[in-house]
Amino acid sequence: MSLYLAAFGFGLVSTSVLAIAAVGFTMQFGISNMINLAYGEVMIASAYASYSLNNAGINIWVSLLGGAVFGAVFSYLINRVLYAPFQKKGTALIGMVIISLAASLMIANVLLPIVGYYSVSYHQDVGPTFHAGSIALTGVQLAIMAVAVVLMLAIYALLKLTRLGKAMRATSANPTLARNCGIPTRRVIDTAWVITGALCGVAGTVAGMNSDTFSVASGAGFLISIIAAAVLGGAGNPYGAMIGAFLIGEVTEVSAAAFSPQYKEVAAFAILILVMVLRPQGLLAKRGTLAAAG
Amino acid sequence: MTYYLTTLGVYAGVDIIACLALNLQFGVSGIVNFSFIVFQAAGAYTAAVLSLPPDSGNGGFQTYVFGAQLPFPIPWIVAAVVGGLLSVPVGLVVLRHLRVDYQAIAMLVLSVIANLVITNARPFLNGAAGLSLVPQPLSEQFNPYTPGYLWGYVAVTFVCAALVFFVAQRVVKSPYGRTLRAMREHELAATALGKNPVVLKMTVFIVGGVIAGLSGAILVGFITIWAPSTWLYPETLILFAAVIVGGRGNNWGALFGAALVPVGFEEATRYLPQFGPPGLVPALQWVAIGLLIIGFLWFRPRGVVPEQPGRFAAAVPDRARLAEEPSVS
Repeated sequence: MSLYLAAFGFGLVSTSVLAIAAVGFTMQFGISNMINLAYGEVMIASAYASYSLNNAGINIWVSLLGGAVFGAVFSYLINRVLYAPFQKKGTALIGMVIISLAASLMIANVLLPIVGYYSVSYHQDVGPTFHAGSIALTGVQLAIMAVAVVLMLAIYALLKLTRLGKAMRATSANPTLARNCGIPTRRVIDTAWVITGALCGVAGTVAGMNSDTFSVASGAGFLISIIAAAVLGGAGNPYGAMIGAFLIGEVTEVSAAAFSPQYKEVAAFAILILVMVLRPQGLLAKRGTLAAAG
Repeated sequence: MTYYLTTLGVYAGVDIIACLALNLQFGVSGIVNFSFIVFQAAGAYTAAVLSLPPDSGNGGFQTYVFGAQLPFPIPWIVAAVVGGLLSVPVGLVVLRHLRVDYQAIAMLVLSVIANLVITNARPFLNGAAGLSLVPQPLSEQFNPYTPGYLWGYVAVTFVCAALVFFVAQRVVKSPYGRTLRAMREHELAATALGKNPVVLKMTVFIVGGVIAGLSGAILVGFITIWAPSTWLYPETLILFAAVIVGGRGNNWGALFGAALVPVGFEEATRYLPQFGPPGLVPALQWVAIGLLIIGFLWFRPRGVVPEQPGRFAAAVPDRARLAEEPSVS
């Protein structure tokens, strides 16, 4: 039993990492109506950006900010240079998904010669270990959870309380109507990619901090859990992604304790299949905030 | 030299078969099968374990199921059947009511997970190390190391490729192919005319799975090894690149693309001088594949050998608008 409690504790940390990532992913889907399969690789690239800062002797938390900036700029550029022109040209969904997979491969393989094949790990002080029953978490893990909570609240505040958030919700609900109402949709979409890109960068770095090591090959694994969380919650819905992240994070960690850590992603996959068969629209129906069209 | 040329020949034949199958699914019917390579792998593993002796017979250095040691045509036939059977559950989950990009990511995730499971579940198909020393077909009757055998294998591969091409051509040219294209262009309109898109997609998906399984069996019979590292998910993207470059929906395009992308690419980079750190050239190769896909989708989305317009294309004034409208489902 204590083993499962400990796994539950780790699951909370996984949830935090996954929530940051999945909210960014699902908002990109909501606002651009496309699945960005390069998301996992952008995460990895950002993690390496943080790593290069961290390796130069900069504190990991400052490096985290660097990773966020890198992710924001990178995501903005991918959308502006690659995705948006194709969408403007009228490329169908079928083409967009192939383009994003091609982009994902290209990022991974540009990254490989630069950073190498070997796994790296951050220079960080994991801090004292805190115990609560059989749950034992390090200071860094608690800090990651705090970061996630702050970011989730910030996203909620952004979408509910600001004009920008309102514009983003309108754009994602119906871009044409939003434009006709005088919302500068292009600028709103650009801003959304910067914000979600920053989330992606933070997620990549905290994922690297949470696992002992990471390498370019970690991208695909990240992507699967993120897709599972986003689809489970209802693709395009940030609150759904938070719930999805919690369920996926806990199920993967607890199943890793029960069976074998090698099959972590298989549990995520099994949930994904169940959702696709039983409730393809996700737990939260696709209405209201950031719902995707179609 | 003989070995090099025959290897090239078998790879070319297998890539052609695979591209024709993918063209039926993706080019003609609009199914984004990102897990295509899984069906090829299923065929290859099936053919391998059916022709290998029981695993105690080879010193036990590799473990796998079956080990049936069946004579030649049976492993290939069963491989094709397994490719088709595997398509049934996958298709039922994925193709029924998901939006097309959901279908694509479901298949992508399937491809990654299948590889992960096979890599980690060692007793099933020898895990990450994969299967080796797979007996060549008819190796009892002929010496598989003679040039005659090697060239014979190439010939058999091309006969299979020709057969698949013939079938694919018949499908594309038939009224059935026209229905498939109608579904690809406008699923709602096709449904309104009484066509059942789920049945159509399932059929094409299974046919593609059968052909993919066969292509895997042909390949493994020649190279005699098969491991998870040979069917990682990016391999599927090479085939997509081939179909896109060649011309979606046109079998001649698939032929051309198969010759150009998987075969031509591998061979061209073989003669490049190795420069930079190790792994740079293969990495750049992948980048080039990505650029090829993106470049073609931007500048020439219909490929080098575009699909022939239908006989009554001129009579439909708003065909372009229909094609560009995102399909609803």
